[in-house]
Parts: sequence; C-alpha cells; structure tokens
Amino acid sequence: MKNPLMTGSGTFGWGTEYSDYFDPNDLGALVLKGLTLEARPGNPGTRLAETPAGMLNSIGLENPGVEVFEKETVEILRSELSGTHSIANINGKTVEEYVELAKRIDAIPEITAIELNISCPNVKDGGMAFGANPEVAGRVTREVRAVTKKPLIVKLSPNVTNVVEIAKIVEENGADALALINTLLGMAIDIKRKKPVLGNVFGGFSGPAIKPVALRIVYQVRKATNLPILGMGGISCTEDVIEFMMAGANTVALGTGFFMNPNLATEIIEGLNKYCEENGLENISEIVNAVHR
Amino acid sequence: MACNGVKAFVEEAEILENRMLAEDYYIMRVKSPKTAEVALAGQFSMLKPKNEIRILRRPISIHSVDKEKGEMEYYYEVLGGGTKDFAILKIGETINIQGPLGVGFDLNIENKNVVAIGGGLGIAPLKELLNQLKDKNKVVHIAGGRSAKHLGILSSFDESIETLIATDDGSLGKKGNTVDILKEYLKENKVDIIYTCGPHIMMEAVARVAKEHGIRCQVSLEERMACGVKACMGCSIPTTKGMQKVCYDGPVFEANEVIDVE
Repeated sequence: MKNPLMTGSGTFGWGTEYSDYFDPNDLGALVLKGLTLEARPGNPGTRLAETPAGMLNSIGLENPGVEVFEKETVEILRSELSGTHSIANINGKTVEEYVELAKRIDAIPEITAIELNISCPNVKDGGMAFGANPEVAGRVTREVRAVTKKPLIVKLSPNVTNVVEIAKIVEENGADALALINTLLGMAIDIKRKKPVLGNVFGGFSGPAIKPVALRIVYQVRKATNLPILGMGGISCTEDVIEFMMAGANTVALGTGFFMNPNLATEIIEGLNKYCEENGLENISEIVNAVHR
Repeated sequence: MACNGVKAFVEEAEILENRMLAEDYYIMRVKSPKTAEVALAGQFSMLKPKNEIRILRRPISIHSVDKEKGEMEYYYEVLGGGTKDFAILKIGETINIQGPLGVGFDLNIENKNVVAIGGGLGIAPLKELLNQLKDKNKVVHIAGGRSAKHLGILSSFDESIETLIATDDGSLGKKGNTVDILKEYLKENKVDIIYTCGPHIMMEAVARVAKEHGIRCQVSLEERMACGVKACMGCSIPTTKGMQKVCYDGPVFEANEVIDVE
C-alpha cells in the first residue's frame, strides 16, 4: 500500500463517488460499501441524523447484491481504480450466506482482500449479532477462512462488553487483520413528533465524538495481539491518524471525515509527509505502536 | 460528478450579502466563481456550518447564478443549528461550499408554456429556473406562502415575470394555496410543463393535477444528506427505477417516477 489511508465501508460508495475532489487511487486501499448476496433496498424512512460532533446512520446495507457487483462494479474497479487496492466488505444473515458470498468474492481477482463485517448495527438479522457472540464470531471467521485465500480482515463492533475477547477468537480462527471499530449504537428522538428520528430506531454513531472510544479499543486490542490493525472512528485530521497509529493501528480508515471535508484525504497525505520530514522519519509506519513501547 | 456531467468542487466563498428578508428567511450572495461557472438551475450546494460541533453540511438550493460576475445566491430558512450558523455570517467572511450537486431542472425547453410553482422555501430554486426559461418560453410563476411577510423572496425575482400569489391568510394575492391557483390557471390556459418545489404534500397535489391534465411535471425533492455525492446512501428514495439518490439522481425528478411510489 502506498500509504496507510483506507476508507470506512459505507462511506465511500463503490470507490469513484468522490472523484471530483481527489483521485481515489491516491489512497492506500478502498474498502467498498457492504455487500450481501441478494440486492437490498436498505432501510425505509430517515437514515441520517446529526449529533454533537457526530452523526447517526441507519442505511441498512443498501446494495445491488453480489451478482450486479460481479457484472458491473468489478468493471469499474478494473478500469478506474487499478492504482489502488479494492477490498470487499461482506455481510450475511447466516453463516452460510457469509461463506457463499466469500466464495464469490474470492473468485474476483480485482478484489485484494475481504473485510468480514460482523458488526453492522443496522440490519435486523446478522451483522452485529455475529460479532457480539464470541463463539459465533469464531465460527463465521473459521468458515469464511476456509473458502478464501485472500487476506481476511475482520471488522469488530465496539458494542460488546469485551472486544479483546472477540479479537482473540477471530485471530485464532484465521483472521489476517482486524478492523476497529465499526459504529457505536445510538439513537435520536424527534421531540415534536415524539418518535425516534431514524426509521430503524437505532443507528450507527460515528464522527469525531467517537474517537476516544475507537482509540481505546485499538489500544486494548493491540496489547492483546500482534495482528495488523486497521483503525478507524472519528478521524478528521492528520493528528488523529497519528494518534491511531501510535495506539496500534497499522493503517487507518477515513469515513465520516469525508462528509465533513471532501479534501480530507489529500490534506492528510500532505500532513503525514510533513510529519515525517519534521520528525526525521523515513516512513510513517515507524510510529505504529509508539505508545506501547 | 453529477450524473448530468457537471463537475463539483469545494470552494471557500466570500460573503457579499447575507440579510434577513423576513421571519427567519435569509438571502445570501457569495463570490464563488468556480461553482458559478458550471452551476445549473435546480442544483444545490452543501454548505458547511462554521461551528465544528455540527459536522454535516447543509444542502441548500441554488437560488440564482451570475456566471459573468462569478456570484451565486442562496435563499434559506433558519431552522436549526446549521442554518443559524449561516445567518450570523457577515460580509467579508467566508463560507465553505461543496457543489454544485445533483441533477437540476430540464432546461431544454423552448417555445413552451411553462408554470413554475413554489411553496415556502421551495420558491428558492425557481428564480434561476425562470431566468433560464423566460426568454424562450411563456413562463408563469405561482408562489405560495403563509403570509405576505413569508414571501419577501419575491422581491428577488424578475418583475417582468407573470406571478400569481397565494397566502394562507390572504395578506398577499389570493387566500388559499398554490394548487388552487394552478387549477384555476389550467381552466383558461394551456400548459406544457410544470416545475414544482415545496412541501412534499404540495408537490404531491401539484403532481396529481398535472397527471390529471396529462401535463409533464418535474419535482424537486429534499432529503437529509451526509455526503452529497451518492457515497453514503443516506438520501435514497424509492422510485419507479428502483432506489435512487436525491443528491445524485435528483433532487429534480419526473413527478411520475417519485410521487405515489411505494
């Protein structure tokens, strides 16, 4: 990877949506919107709400399904995104669905790695339910591991009592890397209507407000494992990236930050270069785990 | 870029004017040459609140575009935190704008009888639309609001455009609503296309009248947004063509594709 910058699944569409503002090939890797076997329209009603220094989303995994992905999206990856890595984020309602989807993605050479999403808070079945139960998390990791040779990143939920426990179990079952964290679970209420703002009632909480939680989890998991960590949660500037790397993240993902500033990636790439110059570093990776030494 | 091929930017725009017309309705004029050069009637910008605690940009319709001067106008209502932030901006300060975004109104219209109907804040995008169509078409503007005070925006429009007004309290124009005026107008006049923007319930009523008369109708929708570029899928709506994004496939749609669709 040319730099440690990646994208948070669900914030960067299918890779080309921000092309007016910067070349997505400038990023180290793109993690694409979550896929499911079948097409999904996503959740009805309101999907977004702003919160102080953050936001809630309950998109509900709207995606065209793996068949359209294979036939149409992959063509775009090939023609427009060959300068970076594309990573598929996979979701299922059952372990069998995860496995079937992993098999299909494994057959696509344009996809460099698979991110196993066992932490989506916005779907009724599957998602977070898989990531909250250590035994199930281990099982789905193991069964997906068995059907793909691509690097397997497992994305964990912060909405559990003990993330370290889940991290260790997915590591034991074949994860090559960990993505920390998915969104926190939150809600908002419309006091005029006396109803929840989001159509799905709860949603994923993201943005600068969650950074302290994300950092804490990266820090804790790093203490428990040597696996590569993709850190994310509220990154909105170069300094945030540096914090995550010092806490233990080898790479980081930008997500909500893009909504705040479409030029964020460009600014951070410059910022990291400047930081290296100012601190006599040949490569920004030298600061990974700095706080643990 | 928008699916109509218009490229978008992030531009730091200088505030040239920012004044309250009435009752929390403001008009803001900015210097934004990059955006003004390409912006089309019916498109919108994502305006960034200055207060960093409000992280989402606000989608605001483009009210008018002056390509020569490189200026644009926005007409907005102070509804909450973000728009409150806009209202306190002073001349000489800057506002960060992302855009122009979305698919605007169909401007490929010549020698036609055009009606543009706006309700409340929905009047905002109609200024640029009417400016673009008035030279080659017969245009009529039907505007509705709660009261005369709420329609201060009409002073921003070209005086020579035929304007029919309705207010809830009758303090300006007819007492009633824009749909009543439309129905009356259609009794005596042939209309080829209706553009509308305003409260959803108003646009639904306009769309139904248009359908009854076999007249083409375009609506401009709004939806909460985060990215503005089709990346996050926050603004998806069901249409006859499947789920579409108000920020990218819209905000302007053919009425029959989005009204009364499950």
